[in-house]
Amino acid sequence: MVILEVENLTKIYVVGLLRKKEILAVNNISFRVSEKEFISLVGESGSGKTTTARMILRLLKPTSGSIRFQGRDVWSLKKMEDLKWYWRQVHGIFQDPFASYNPLYRIDRVLNQVFNLIGDIGADRESLIREALKEVGLRPDEVLGRYPHELSGGQRQRIMVARCYLLKPRLILADEPVSMIDASTRAGVLNLFSRLRDEYGTSVIFITHDLGLAYYVSDRIMIMYRGEIVEEGSPEEVMENPQHPYTRKLREDVPLLYRKWSGF
Amino acid sequence: MIPPIVMDLIKIKKLIISLSIFLAIVLAGLIGPIVYPVNPVVMTGPIEQPPSSKYPLGTDRWGRDVLAQLLHGIRNSLSIGLTAAAISLAIGVTIGVVSGFKGGITENSLMLLTDVVYALPSILLMMLIAAYLEERNPFLVSIVIGVTSWPWVARAVRSQILSLKTREFIDMSRMAGLGDLRIMFEDLLPNMASYIFMAFVLLMSGAMIAEAGLSMIGLGVTRGISLGIILYWAQLLEAVRRALWWWFIPPGVCLVALATSLLLLSTALDEYFSPRLRGE
Amino acid sequence: MTLLEAEHVKAYYSIRNSYVKAVDDVSLSVDRGAILGLAGESGCGKSTLVNTLMMNIRPPLRLIDGTIVLDGIKISEMSRSKLKKDVWGILVSIVPQSALNALMPTKKIVDFVKDIFHYHTDMSRAEIVSMVRKRFEELNLSPEILHLYPHELSGGMKQRVVIAISTLLNPKLLIVDEPTSALDVSTQKQVIKLLVDLHRAKIIESMVFVTHDLAILRQIADKIAIMYAGKIVEVASTDDILYTPLHPYTRGLVNAVMTPESEVRKRGITFIAGEPPNLLNPPSGCRFHPRCPYAKPICKEVEPPIIEVRDDRIVACHLVESFM
Repeated sequence: MVILEVENLTKIYVVGLLRKKEILAVNNISFRVSEKEFISLVGESGSGKTTTARMILRLLKPTSGSIRFQGRDVWSLKKMEDLKWYWRQVHGIFQDPFASYNPLYRIDRVLNQVFNLIGDIGADRESLIREALKEVGLRPDEVLGRYPHELSGGQRQRIMVARCYLLKPRLILADEPVSMIDASTRAGVLNLFSRLRDEYGTSVIFITHDLGLAYYVSDRIMIMYRGEIVEEGSPEEVMENPQHPYTRKLREDVPLLYRKWSGF
Repeated sequence: MIPPIVMDLIKIKKLIISLSIFLAIVLAGLIGPIVYPVNPVVMTGPIEQPPSSKYPLGTDRWGRDVLAQLLHGIRNSLSIGLTAAAISLAIGVTIGVVSGFKGGITENSLMLLTDVVYALPSILLMMLIAAYLEERNPFLVSIVIGVTSWPWVARAVRSQILSLKTREFIDMSRMAGLGDLRIMFEDLLPNMASYIFMAFVLLMSGAMIAEAGLSMIGLGVTRGISLGIILYWAQLLEAVRRALWWWFIPPGVCLVALATSLLLLSTALDEYFSPRLRGE
Repeated sequence: MTLLEAEHVKAYYSIRNSYVKAVDDVSLSVDRGAILGLAGESGCGKSTLVNTLMMNIRPPLRLIDGTIVLDGIKISEMSRSKLKKDVWGILVSIVPQSALNALMPTKKIVDFVKDIFHYHTDMSRAEIVSMVRKRFEELNLSPEILHLYPHELSGGMKQRVVIAISTLLNPKLLIVDEPTSALDVSTQKQVIKLLVDLHRAKIIESMVFVTHDLAILRQIADKIAIMYAGKIVEVASTDDILYTPLHPYTRGLVNAVMTPESEVRKRGITFIAGEPPNLLNPPSGCRFHPRCPYAKPICKEVEPPIIEVRDDRIVACHLVESFM
């Protein structure tokens, strides 16, 4: 069952005061996301993948095109009630775990905020939070009550994942969610997304420049280059038989464990 | 227990110096009139007396005690500064926050208003008001200064908001279903607290100078006394040429000391806050 | 032939009467002409170790014990001013982790270069500039870059510029600390290419490459040292580390690597449970034992000795016999 439909989505930024210049950040992209599907949107920085995520999250207004979630046009949701419903179902993790926290508040705030969406569920909030933190591999007593600058990037990313785990949305847009978590423990955090899928039918769009991560976690990979989706397919198709020159280059440049770069 | 922020602040020399100058003058303005209970606006002695034990800072043309005038003048100048700064800050911050946060047509129209007021000198407004009002009390002067000196605050606050708005924690709050008002009060304004405080300090210093400026050209308060008014009379009656130094030097020094100590205070605070903002 | 020989080095951060044992009894050598990779999780002491190796030690970090010999010179006994004058930049250079922010935003690259080398050498400013231009050309970096401000350069370009500047005086040893972690793969490759070029052109003799990414070390390192909680737990050739890791921690690291290739897919991805320990109070015995799936009672009690299982291959694990 398709839960998200993106059609002809375009974002043009206008920059400059006197001499206006248009920057085509996202150019007419369309795709669908099914229930329980893991998709990776792969591209380098500036390829438009973060812009796409922000538009789907209803944080950045598209220039044109439509985004429909469960049949409802996302950008025609206006009432706070509807918006809360949407963000309850569709949530995001941003790539910069430093900027994701207001430096003036303890990290507990981003977790407590979840209850603003869920409402009163009768359960003990504190113990739910503690449980979610344990799930992402943190010791609750070491992070609760701390300020963001007292935690490492990896810890902050884990807390963001914990926020999604608390919320259990239908769709998560995760922008480089594990970039600062050590490779040695990354798989543990990624398993949590799989558990959300298995237990709650959650779909995930991973936004990453890490082809390896995309290869392992996703059902489908979309390669984004200069605002367009230039290639799409199963991880095997994309890795073993890349069609677009950019995908080929990407595959050549990814360092592998059992093969050396040619010329090195 | 002294909070660590206070300990850090104490270490900044500039801050200690500026704060002690400022507080010393404030104290003089607050307590002075009580310990030196001389009416500043009635004749208490012979005219244009140099300082003596009876009149510590001499007297003016009408035999009024200059020290008493000075102490009351500080008090009034401070209260004009405070009131005007509070008015400017309220207008400037509101317009800056709303325009930066809302964007679009709201932003454009508010910025247009800002530019119009920016181009409008307070002197002009004061001249218009002076033409209609015979009597101008300190509060009226504060309002005029207040409603004309906020544009730079609005612009600065707006640009701060524009940069804060792109920080992802705003989006995190938005996704948690927080409304605009809560985001403004929980996420945006607290992050600008230090900045707003500095703006207040600068506004206050500017307002006291502006008051003096208005008074010097005869557009200041008509009732009561202020540092500007003392200077106005001293200037009008050629105190400088006639070397009646006790009449114009003390208020001049007080005014400059007040304004510069506030400027210094704001740069000291800037030094303290900026590396933090960058570093964290 | 070794270029750098560190023996029993202990470097601790002293914080409020206690020690963070960031580098605890580490012996390590770098061969002439070799590229050594240093891998481990964040917070394991990698950065502290490489800074200690070049004696870039500043309080609260202190060298508690050990000797470091670089190119026949015992640098562990030199004063900071002497190191500055005779060692840093000349015998050894480091590209620090935060190198991308190391450039002053208000200075053009060329001014920055002039300033640092004027301090280091007797050359005139004009000579320095012409030398830098020549070096940039050799490294396929456009000399035009010199007249730009740091913010005008992309992250990858900035990193390459910092590397080119750090190696201007042909240091024998170059240490690079996580030079590519924030970069896109294609940019990453260009930066690594530059390092390889520097090495091939013999501008630098040896290199220590610090990273948490084993796939990158695979591309360039001859040997890999694995560090865990302030200790070196295994040193072996790159192939040995990847194909026959002996220490359970090394195995955990290798098995966690997520590179898009069929071998890895067949093998599957696992992760190491738990978190690295706090170095203020590291676990007894083998520091890895709380996270080790093979741990035996002895691991908790006795610190494992460093065993030389073969020439050029050392492991610190009680159970190494059973893994061979």
